[in-house]
Order: sequence, then structure tokens, then C-alpha cells
Amino acid sequence: MSTQKWSVSLLMVLVLVVAACGGTTPQAPAAAATQPAATAQPTAAVTEPAVLRIGWGGSPDTLNPGTAVLAEAYTLFELVYDAMYQLQLDGSTYTLELADSVNVSEDGLVWTFHIRPGIKFHDGVPLTAKDIAFSYNYYQAHQDFPYLSVYTVYFESVEAPDDSTVVIKLTQAIPNMESQLIFLYVLPEHIWSQYTDATAAVEFENEAMIGSGPFKMVEYRQNEFVHLAANKDHYLTPPKVDELVFQTFENQDALVQAIRTGQVDMITEMPMTAVPGLRTAENVKLVTGAPLSPSIRDVIFNQLEPENCPPDAACTGHPALRDRNVRLALAHATDKQKIIDVALLGLGTPGRTLVANGLGMWYNSSLQDYAFDIAEANRILDQAGYADTDGDGVRQMPDGSAPLLFRLYWPSDIEAAPRTAEMLAETWGQVGVKVQPQAFDPDALTAVCCPNFDFDVIIWGWGSDPDPAFLLGTLTTEQIPTGSSETGYSNPEFDALFVEQGTTLDKTKRQEIIWEMQRIVFDDVVYIIPYYEDAAQAYRTDRFTGWIIDQPKLELSDPSSLTVVEPVK
Amino acid sequence: MRGYRYLLNKIAWACLTVLFVIVLNFFLFRILPGDPARAGIRDPRMTVQAQEAIRVRFGLDKPVINCFESLNPLRLGKCGVNPLDTQFFIYIRNLFRGELGFSYHTNRPVVDMIGERLWNTILLTGPAQILSIVLGMGLGLLAAWKAHTAIDYASLIGSLVAWSVPTFWLGILLLFWGSSKLGLPIGGKMTAGATYASTAEQWLDVLRHMLLPTITFTIVYMGEYMLYMRSAVLEVLAEDYTLTAKAKGLKTSRILRVHALPNALLPMVTIIALNLGFIVSGAIFIETVFSWPGLGLAVYEALNRRDYPMLQGLFLLLALSVVLANLVAELLYSVLDPRIKTG
Repeated sequence: MSTQKWSVSLLMVLVLVVAACGGTTPQAPAAAATQPAATAQPTAAVTEPAVLRIGWGGSPDTLNPGTAVLAEAYTLFELVYDAMYQLQLDGSTYTLELADSVNVSEDGLVWTFHIRPGIKFHDGVPLTAKDIAFSYNYYQAHQDFPYLSVYTVYFESVEAPDDSTVVIKLTQAIPNMESQLIFLYVLPEHIWSQYTDATAAVEFENEAMIGSGPFKMVEYRQNEFVHLAANKDHYLTPPKVDELVFQTFENQDALVQAIRTGQVDMITEMPMTAVPGLRTAENVKLVTGAPLSPSIRDVIFNQLEPENCPPDAACTGHPALRDRNVRLALAHATDKQKIIDVALLGLGTPGRTLVANGLGMWYNSSLQDYAFDIAEANRILDQAGYADTDGDGVRQMPDGSAPLLFRLYWPSDIEAAPRTAEMLAETWGQVGVKVQPQAFDPDALTAVCCPNFDFDVIIWGWGSDPDPAFLLGTLTTEQIPTGSSETGYSNPEFDALFVEQGTTLDKTKRQEIIWEMQRIVFDDVVYIIPYYEDAAQAYRTDRFTGWIIDQPKLELSDPSSLTVVEPVK
Repeated sequence: MRGYRYLLNKIAWACLTVLFVIVLNFFLFRILPGDPARAGIRDPRMTVQAQEAIRVRFGLDKPVINCFESLNPLRLGKCGVNPLDTQFFIYIRNLFRGELGFSYHTNRPVVDMIGERLWNTILLTGPAQILSIVLGMGLGLLAAWKAHTAIDYASLIGSLVAWSVPTFWLGILLLFWGSSKLGLPIGGKMTAGATYASTAEQWLDVLRHMLLPTITFTIVYMGEYMLYMRSAVLEVLAEDYTLTAKAKGLKTSRILRVHALPNALLPMVTIIALNLGFIVSGAIFIETVFSWPGLGLAVYEALNRRDYPMLQGLFLLLALSVVLANLVAELLYSVLDPRIKTG
């Protein structure tokens, strides 16, 4: 009895102590709540450094350019590192960055770059041709670098005969050399040469992130913030602001609230639903336009011919989708404008092919889109022999073997996908095509998709390189077993043109071929591209001025804007 | 002697549970479909060679365990392979060396990533738990004492609402209100990129960032504690010994303090201990709304990216803390109420 009493009183004392501690807690933050007024004043003072705060929804996966995958990491690389070329905001012009001139041999196999003098890394060590050659060879040597190693596949050798000359010898002449070099960031050899073996190269966290770009790393906290300072000695584009802070907001509504309240000066993304509200918000300018890295939404038809089925794959696609008539009818039964208005609140343009309108000269603007026309779609299907023989509203295969009932899948991480699927189901239903809609975890969808081909229709998409070659490559026959081909499309004529565009050095000729390739896949209705989505970004008009918003492409976190913006006087 | 055996028994069960979790952890994530080397990435630049190289780097080219090449899709393999060369045994061996592996997503050691976030989570959920326990129990006691009065009904309804309100919704409302009316920070643990003149100033900044998420957490959990406390005290007040105390002419405050509170605390100990076990898991919703870089958010992110090593590490930590909290609750309970131990 006495033990019990003793322990109970001990517990009570504990509770009291805890209560006493807890009691003081609310007071401290209450005092702190008056703090913002106090801290806000000095920021406005002229002597304070100009700190530009940017809110975004993500965070870099790593600061190591070799292993990075996420767009946020590449945004930082563009700011902290330099490359041989810089892509301009028109989407297809490249200007020299580290080099001031380049000579290309007659046969297109030898590229000689003359490096600008006096470039320094952030730690004061000069950047020379040796660093560039080291970096390119480094990327090439590490095959498990998910993205960057692929840009070096045509390099036979990269050498620096002296401190100001880089000579790249190619295994074959390629037309898109510039686009191979824009992401090959130049690393300081004196740091990275310690991390050349396979394990060290991927495990190096690169937290100091010494580069030569217009901004240098100050502090990085994963999933919290990235703090950069201006490199006022940059040889090309010294920034006008003093510091940049990228802050991660895991919640999109919070991100929007951050710019409304002025806690950040610019946001790189927002949910479409926030757009109307921010248009009218005080001191906020909302801008929309084609994104720097276009993302393509596609409606994938599994049209794999049985003889192309990869080993071990399921290949359960509906036979009707191998018939162009059915795909054409579905294209006519797709109301792209309505999908854009409903799912994107109007922020997009109807798509044609995988080559997006943001790709400048590579986009085939001559293609006439299939009109939304239910009657025409019905006529095509009637003529092709797909009749509704049992009167249940769903058409049958011409031989009566199966109804036109398609599995329609989408990944759960595409915000606009469920509504897109709903609208497809509705208008396709009007032409006697029924769908079984189902959302998938993106990873699970990869497993059914490619190269397993265990689906009929998928709403998905791609991120795009500035050069169209990678995306057009996904439509070639050789990509069917690799998982890059999601349609199973196979057309020898297209395959031949793909090889041809890869060796055509004349830009205009190459453009003609690429336009022809787009026409072929558009005529074959390999995909339906419902839309090219616009980017929506916003900045505070009362804080910084000079944002670049009049270009064909919109990216406020690109060096083009961040090196020229300056505080509002 | 009997107490000693009770203790050993409980500890043995806790260890068994942890072992079970370690094994389950491994197979649970590998039954899920998908390929960590791709992790849902749609980019044509990712070549087959790169995917293969990444698989080799993370040891995913090895069979999952003897007889099984992979679990999803299910592929049988040779049973005669060296067990030490399978993913399962490498996992177990590394675990006993204290290695949790490298995150597939960031290529950083899992131990580092969890370590960074563990203290953030404890910083957020610790004070909030204490606050909600103290306030909730106080309110529960008050409600029971003033049973069937306006005070009782008001706090009862208030607690029910607080307990059942969706956490993220309450959080976002408080966030809108606090950021526009009080100028409180919207997200993060501290002002991004700030330099501080003193440690005190830094802590003040952290406190300002903690305020809204802590209030959200406290409101939600307070309701739960209040409801449990109220019913526990009401039960005690209905006991014969309370009637006897009243008949002896004791004051209400003394009855509450000496009879009602100590007895009502017994069930509360269990609830508190169990909830403390979840401190480490953080609060996924609150951490997401307020961009608080804690473990709850880490679980969510790792799940999205099929980051097996990170998930294994996180689940192990969560399981350990829950098992430990349970053990403490049981031991404490047996001290407080000897009837438990003797059965």
C-alpha cells in the first residue's frame, strides 16, 4: 500500500513538473510572435544585403551532378556551375559560356573550344581547359550516372592540350553537339579527382559545391533550404542581388500563402487552382507560359504487334488498338480544349506529338489537329466494321470476338489525370467505346507498362530534353524491349528517319526530317497528346524587379532572370 | 522472484517483436511492385545500362533470398546460392554492424538522414505531447468534477470536435490565420538562410516556427486525453470508497486529489506511454502542412520513392520506439498496480 502511495505521489510530482514546464512554453512563443515586426525593419534598410527568397515545392535529391535526378537539383547546378553552352529562353538557341569561340573540323568529328581566360572557381582556383576535360571524362567513365553519362556517348576522346584549349573528338558527326554539352557541368578537378572510383563518385555529397557559376553555395539543408551567395566576380553574368534562398514548402497551399504574405519573393510552381486567386493578389504578379523543360502529357495506346512482344512480357493489349481506324476515331472523340479548360483551368495548349511547342524550331507547327467530332468518329468505326451487335452501347470487334472495352490507367501523381480520364470516358463512351478506369502508384504503373505491355491505354507523360532526339527515340522499334517505348509502335520508315536525323549536320535539313517524323507518328495516331501544360510562376512586385517574362519560355529560377533582377528602389 | 520473471518475460517478448519487425520490414517493401532503380522516373535519358549499373550499385542484382530472385514480379531462383550473397542476409549482416545502408534517393547514409530529422521531430512532438497531456488531463478532471454542467458539456463537445477534426485541415486554417494575422512563419524549422547574432536569437526563431504546428498538435491530442481522463475520473467518483469519503465529510478537492486522481491516473499511464511511442513517428500531416523537416515527412517521401533502405531504417526506429514505450508502460503499470504482476 505504501509503495503504491509513494509511486502515485511521485507521478503526481512528475505531472506537476511537466505542467510547470508546459506552462512556460506558451509564453515564450507569444513573446516571439512580436518578433517579425522587429526583424522586418532591418531587411528593408539599404545597408542590408539584398536577399531574394524563392519558394518551391521540392528539394534537390543530391548536390552531386552525377547522381542527381530531380529538376530542383538541376536548377541549382545551372546557378552554381558553368557549362560550355547555355540554352536561351527561345528554346533552341545555344550561346557559348565557358569558351569564347569554337572550331569544328570539316567532317564534324573534331570540336576545338577556346576557353575564356581568367575564370575562377569559387575557392579561387583558376578554371582551365584541364578541368573541362576532366569533367567530361568523369561523366563518361561513370555509367551509373542516370542522366549525364548519356550525353557523352559520342565522345571518342576529350583532351586539354593546354590550359585554354579543349579538343573533343567524336565517334560520329552529330547535329546536336550543343545540347549534349549544356548539362555537362564543369567540376573542379582539384576536388573531384579524389572521388574517381565508382563508389566514391556516387557517395560524394558535394555539400561545399564548389563551381564557377554566378552563385556560390553558402548552406544546404536537405528538404529545408538552399542558401546561395552572389559570385560578384563572375566573368559573364555577375548577379545584382546579394543572396538567394530557396525554401522548401511541402504543402502547395502553404507555398501560395508564402507569396501572398510576402515571406517569399517568388514561387516556381503552384497548383492550377491557385492561379485565379494570385492574379488578383496585391503586390503579386502571376506569369504563365511554356516551361523551360517542357513536360508532355500523353494518352498511350498499346499497339504492340504480337511478334514484337519482348521476352517475359505479358503483352495483353486489346487487338482493336492495333487498328489505326480505332485510334483515329478516339482522337476525333477527344475534346482537348475541354480537357484543358477543366483539368488545367485553361493553362495549356492542345498538343500534337511528343515534340512540344516549347522546343522552338523543332516543333512541327504545320500539323492540323484532328477535330473533336463525335459523328466523324462514329462514322470511322462503323466503316471499319466495329458494330454494336448486342445493343449494349459498346461496339464489338469486327469478328465479334471482344467488345471495345479498354483498361485506362494513370499514375496517382498526376494531378490532372483523374479528371482527364473522366472526360475521355465520357466522350469515348459516345462512340461506343467503354473504359475501365484505374489509378496506379507510378512505380506499379511502370511494372505494367513497359516493357511488360500489360495495359490498353495509359495517361502519362515525359519530361523533355531541349533536343527532340531522346523523345523521338522512344518511338523506335529498338526501344520496345528496353521499356522506353510505351506504345510498342514499330515503323521501319520512322526508324530509318531517326537514324538519319542523328547524322544530318545541316540544321535546316535536320529540321525537315524531324518535322516529317512528327507528321508520321501524328498520321499513325500513335498517341493522343491532350495538351502541353503551361508553367505558372509568380513574383512580388514590391521586392525585386527585372524578371525576364517576355521570352517564349518561362523560368524565373533560371540564371537569365536571377542574375539580372535587382531590389525595387 | 515472481517480479523478476515477469520482467524477463516482458523483455523477451519485446525482443521477439523487434526481430519479427526486422524480418517483416525486409519482405514488406519487396512485395510491393516497382523497381527502385527507376523509382517512377520517366526520362528517356535513363538508359538500360544506367539502370543496370544502379541495380548493381545497390546490390539489387542479387537474389532476394535463396530460391527467390525477386518477389514482385515473383521469380523463382536457385536455392543453392550462397546465403551470404543474397539481399536478405546482406541486410541482416549490415544491421548487426549498425549500418542501415545508403538511401537510393539521395545516395547518403540512412543513419545520417534519420539522425538529422529525429531531433526535429522530437522538438516538435515532445513539447506538444506534454502540453496536450497536461491540458487534456486538467480539462478532463475539471469536466468530471463538474459533470453534467455547462462546463462539462462545453469541454466534452470541444474535445470531441478537436479529436475528430482532420489534422491537415485544422493545420492549414491555423497556418492561414497565423501567417496573415500574426505574421508567423509559414513553414520550416527556422528562417531559411538566416544568420543569428546569438543562440538565444536562434532559439527564438525556432520557437516562432514551432508555434503553429505545436498548437495544431496540442489541440488534436488534447481532445483525446480529455475524453479518457474524464471517463476515468467519473468511474472512480462512482466507486463506493468515494461515497465513503464523502460520508466522512471530506472536501471535494481532497477527494479528487487523494482518491480520484491517483486511481484515474492508472489507465492514463497506458495511453500516455503508448502515445509517447509514436512521438518519433511524428505527425505526417502536421509536418507536411508546416514543412517541418521531421521523420513523419521522411516516411512519406521514402514511400513515394521506393527508398527501401530509408524505409527499413525508419520503420525499425518506429517499431523500436513503440515496443519500448509498450514495455515501459507495462513495467510502470505493474509497479503502480501490483495486481497486474501477480495476475
